[in-house]
Amino acid sequence: MFEIIGERINGLFYDIRDAIANKDPKPVRDWAVKQAEAGAFWLDINTGPVAKKSEQAEIMAWLVKTAQEAVDLPCCIDTTNWDAIEEGLKVHKGKALINSTTAEQAKMDALFPMAANYNAAIVGLAMNEKGVPKSAEDRTALAMELVANADAYGISPVDLYIDPLVLPVNVAQEHGPECLEALRQVKLLSNPSPKTTVGLSNISQKAPNRPLINKTFLAMAMVCGLDSAVMDACDDDLVDTAATATIILNQSIYCDSYLKIFRQK
Amino acid sequence: MGLTGLEIFKQLPKKNCKECGQPTCLAFAMQLAAGKAGLDACPYVSDAAREALDSASAPPVALVKIGVGEKAFELGNETVMFRHDKRFEHPTGIAIQVSDNMSADEVKAKVDKVNKLVFDRVGQVHEVNMVAVANDSGDAAKFADTVKLVQDNTAYPLLLTSGDAAAMEKALEIAGVNKPVVNAADAGNYEAMVALAKKYEAPLVVKGSDLNSLAETVEKIAALGYKNLILDSGARELSKVIADQTQIRRQALKLFRPFGYPTIAFANNDDAVMESLYASTYVAKYAGIVVVNSAEPEHILPVITLRLNIYTDPQKPIAVESKIYEILDPGKDAPVLITTNFSLSYFCIAGDTEAARMPAYIVPVDTDGISVLTAWAAGKFSPESIADTIKKLGIMDKVNHNKVIIPGGVAVLSGQTAELTGCEVLVGPRESAGINSFFKQQWNQ
Repeated sequence: MFEIIGERINGLFYDIRDAIANKDPKPVRDWAVKQAEAGAFWLDINTGPVAKKSEQAEIMAWLVKTAQEAVDLPCCIDTTNWDAIEEGLKVHKGKALINSTTAEQAKMDALFPMAANYNAAIVGLAMNEKGVPKSAEDRTALAMELVANADAYGISPVDLYIDPLVLPVNVAQEHGPECLEALRQVKLLSNPSPKTTVGLSNISQKAPNRPLINKTFLAMAMVCGLDSAVMDACDDDLVDTAATATIILNQSIYCDSYLKIFRQK
Repeated sequence: MGLTGLEIFKQLPKKNCKECGQPTCLAFAMQLAAGKAGLDACPYVSDAAREALDSASAPPVALVKIGVGEKAFELGNETVMFRHDKRFEHPTGIAIQVSDNMSADEVKAKVDKVNKLVFDRVGQVHEVNMVAVANDSGDAAKFADTVKLVQDNTAYPLLLTSGDAAAMEKALEIAGVNKPVVNAADAGNYEAMVALAKKYEAPLVVKGSDLNSLAETVEKIAALGYKNLILDSGARELSKVIADQTQIRRQALKLFRPFGYPTIAFANNDDAVMESLYASTYVAKYAGIVVVNSAEPEHILPVITLRLNIYTDPQKPIAVESKIYEILDPGKDAPVLITTNFSLSYFCIAGDTEAARMPAYIVPVDTDGISVLTAWAAGKFSPESIADTIKKLGIMDKVNHNKVIIPGGVAVLSGQTAELTGCEVLVGPRESAGINSFFKQQWNQ
């Protein structure tokens, strides 16, 4: 089943930023409900760039609690701040998704044990201190580092979400096919294979007609083995695309009302 | 069936010595997985690594040949848990058991019965596959005599059941040339049993007391160099057998080598109906061979029918024979319904005609088992093929009228069909569910 990671509870957005500032749970709850109804599987939770580093842990815990009070969905704890991740995990109900580690050894050695300890899934970015690799081969090699390290810490590949890193098509066009090929390769790294995810809207940064680019890429990536995406769960057209791709890939049984069923799971 | 990078990496020495030409063992593993490097480049690989490479090329469930000659059959090479994922490859071998406690006359009578368990299903012959001889007496000479008697009276391959290597040796002196299944090696007797099976190149059943002990014994036998094996987890209770069969298949498909062989299951039950039910369950749940006691046709036919159905290829449409089908004893004035030989199409129209209480003839045109509209689009359901079928089967000689009814979906064929056949062509409803009112309005008017 394709997993939508609803991107909307993020301090980047003004309403969430204000909600954090005023400790007003309403916008967080509203977006949790709205995204759940739209078919989200995970709720991405991000304190946003404005939050002070010292306060991020507390904000993360509040956001996770507030969102999970409103809906019965697991959260994707999206921050580079390790303390904030751990605070989020402490209050989280059910299996959380940590977003993210890279293939840097120090990060893997900190975050994989944390994931194992809290029985959480974790996103692994196919990059390291040298940056984002260009070729599919280099991306896959870093994915392999992630798989092997996760395995060593006792994390099953099905709890590891490899992100091959999507870059904007207008400025990094040549990365597109490499990223798609990396998605294919990643599915062959282990048995069972790791899951895959992308930050979908990256593909269309600063380009015109973003929805068209997003949904076209989503369908292409799903063909290559994409299992989940951080995306706008309330973009009906985009969710329809995911639902339709699921049907064409024979991942769920067809019925005439499949668009509705896809959102219900 | 390649190995994944992670599986190979786990087998590597992890010295990161670079002697293979790759910067790390991990990188080397990925090269191996991609088929861009050979394992020989690493000077420090262990036997485990070689074993891993072996696994990569071998099928998940080994192919095992049973018997020799015309009645020989094959087991294994299965690749799925569920038949709809692809198909089940080799139908379960059904073995009927006789005991060496039975008198010679009893044995002979039962084997004669087994020889007659041959059934005609949808135009094909289906039969049982083996006679099992059980050393219930514990007496080696009696066992050998019974094996000889059975072998002299049947062409089916034999399954020899004895835990006693000395008795098995005597029986094999008689039957070994025909490569019977040797049942069974266990943790206690496996060395002697392997030696016997090796000598006659006969398939060997490995019996465990549970899945763990089974895996251990298989590994010991593999270490002796014998891989012509069939697995028995030792379970006899229905629920336990289902669980074990499922585990064995599942682990085999995950390339757990000790379970990469076909299995045997024992349905033996004093109540013959229960025995049929057990056997049916094991046919559906991965058994390579199922052993039963009853040789009565009424107990065996249902199991054989189920086996036929379970082992059909779900990707291929199922066809009915192209012939005249009579519904409810039709007379000379009964309608003639034309359809295709896709089983689903045929059974729809047959069911609806019967439900309408209308005696009729149904004539399926051979369209390679595809439906009316599919066959029409593919040019297989045409005025020519309809006319040929009507003529070939001589259906119009059975009736005193000159009318045929074609499906409403291909109404467009009516004119040309009438020309070619000389019949009056009536266009039926698009859906066979409408056949009842069609009969009332257009036939019985």
